[in-house]
Amino acid sequence: MTPESLEKWLFVPCRHNGISIELTQAENGEEALAAYRDGKAEVMFLDLTMPVMDGYQVLEQLQKEQLNTFVVVVSADIQPKAQERVKKLGAIAFIKKPVKTSDIENVLHEYGIV
Amino acid sequence: MYCTNMALSDSADKTTLMSIQPYTEDQSDALQEVVNIAMGQAGDSLARILGNFVALSVPRIRLVTVKDVIKTVTDMVDNNAEISAIRQSFSNSLRGEAIVVFAQAGADDLADLMGYDTDLDQSAKQELLLEVGNLLVGAVINGISETLKTDLSFSAPSLMAERTPLDQVLVPEQLSWSHALLMEVNFTVENRDFKCHLLMFMTEETIDSLRGILDEFMDGI
Repeated sequence: MTPESLEKWLFVPCRHNGISIELTQAENGEEALAAYRDGKAEVMFLDLTMPVMDGYQVLEQLQKEQLNTFVVVVSADIQPKAQERVKKLGAIAFIKKPVKTSDIENVLHEYGIV
Repeated sequence: MYCTNMALSDSADKTTLMSIQPYTEDQSDALQEVVNIAMGQAGDSLARILGNFVALSVPRIRLVTVKDVIKTVTDMVDNNAEISAIRQSFSNSLRGEAIVVFAQAGADDLADLMGYDTDLDQSAKQELLLEVGNLLVGAVINGISETLKTDLSFSAPSLMAERTPLDQVLVPEQLSWSHALLMEVNFTVENRDFKCHLLMFMTEETIDSLRGILDEFMDGI
């Protein structure tokens, strides 16, 4: 997931609702947690297969820290068990790669984020 | 950023590698993502046939020469214990071959995972390796083909090695290229012995043609 692709997915729904967003990219789970602790993650788009710290570990850690963010898992690991696991760990949604803009829009609408 | 550090060991290699420009950062990212998607689909197919959750590794992509392929792959496979392996070639818009390396303990665990008697004879065990290898390679080839919207076909699998040390399998005489783009992912089943590595080697001309295909893919996102 590159910032460019994420920006593209988020552009339409956010512009539509006059919301401006700031994107922070993390190379791995540790960086994602650091960004979260800095208050930079109202919504987190989280991959599962990552070096250093994977997506499951990020979700576990977020639960320990009271999970004050919407986590949307975006992954190529499409096993039903992967989806079950991340939902149990508090993710609000699981989006399969390759991503369609409508998938992102639907989740953002469902949770009233935009 | 991948594929930018090519070690050129002698002048002969330098001449043949001259035509291969490293990918741009965008192309590398796109390739990583495409491989990730295709390997994810392969992992899902494997999980279904084994009836277990399969842990996927982060895909690794490297440029290798036939001279350093043994070292690169033995590093990826962790050790040089005995393995069994199957191979399949693929062709059309991208050419190369896929090899599935089964850690021997994993190959031995396969029958049980798939619900067969564990005392299968040798030819039945070979059939299982071919079946699972074919499933993984088919899923990853189809995944790449669909994601990049490009035509790919693949051959039937053949057994490449059985209970053989890895460094005796990937010998230059066994390989049909001098350098290649290597993509690797490994699949493990939690609490079991099963582990296998899917290796895809794309040939010289494919390294070049992939550049245009990746650009088209990025334009289409």
